Amino acid sequence: MRAHVSTRSLRAGPALIGLTPSPVRLSLPAQPRNIAVVRRALEAIAEELALPRRLIEDMRLAVTEACTNVVRHAYTEAEATEANAMRVEMLPETDGMQVIVEDRGRGLGPSPDARGPGLGLPLIAALTSQLEVSHGADERGSRIAMSFAPTPIEAA
Amino acid sequence: MTEAAAGPNGSPGTTRVSIASGPLVGPVLRRVVGMLAARADLPLDRLDDAVLVADLIASRAPAHMQTPSVDVDLETGDRTLFLRVGPLRPGGGEALIVDASVPGVGNVIEQLADDITVKPDGDSEYLLVRLAYSS
Repeated sequence: MRAHVSTRSLRAGPALIGLTPSPVRLSLPAQPRNIAVVRRALEAIAEELALPRRLIEDMRLAVTEACTNVVRHAYTEAEATEANAMRVEMLPETDGMQVIVEDRGRGLGPSPDARGPGLGLPLIAALTSQLEVSHGADERGSRIAMSFAPTPIEAA
Repeated sequence: MTEAAAGPNGSPGTTRVSIASGPLVGPVLRRVVGMLAARADLPLDRLDDAVLVADLIASRAPAHMQTPSVDVDLETGDRTLFLRVGPLRPGGGEALIVDASVPGVGNVIEQLADDITVKPDGDSEYLLVRLAYSS
């Protein structure tokens, strides 16, 4: 994995899928238009949970970045059309939500059209209360597990 | 790709939604179906029909699923939206259709869909629904 991110909330760790129930799972082709589908599902859950608007906005931004990483880096154009190229799990928690974005392709990498590693992961790290970046199943691809929880101000 | 993972037409490009039976099924399924119906360029009245079908599936399907979740594959075509619900228990496809009847209205899914098919697959079966718009 070639992600170069250093933040306090970023830590490598075991995969989270399987440790907790997964109320909502999406499997989609890794195509730009499907990022909007993920966002819509995320909004539906967040609104059902009555999460604070500011937290929902943070979640939308972070999950969009994670999905964009998959769409841009994980697959060739042909591979991206596979039905389960991009997998997203959304797990409501007591005071927030965990979202896991996973691919089975090449995983994370630098943007082909940018010199640096990009701002995607640092941005995600800044918006999450906990972030885990690891390989996907069978050591293939990448898995980004993001936890979101309201700050005391948001929760009030 | 396994048969179960294939789209309604058995092709890639399918969106699969799996929602644990409970209060999130309706809100999530109706939004995803609404979005894909819009992508399929269905006009507003047919988009509303698709969302209504999604709501009925969300409310009736949990009793007939083989799993503790509601699983729906969605695929868009030319002004067409395909849904595949399952795996359902044996007999669950027909039971789901019957359950979609509303007193005084009749069977809503049958009235709104262009095609409904129950497809056996080993020890389970799938309900295939096609919603289209013909200009």
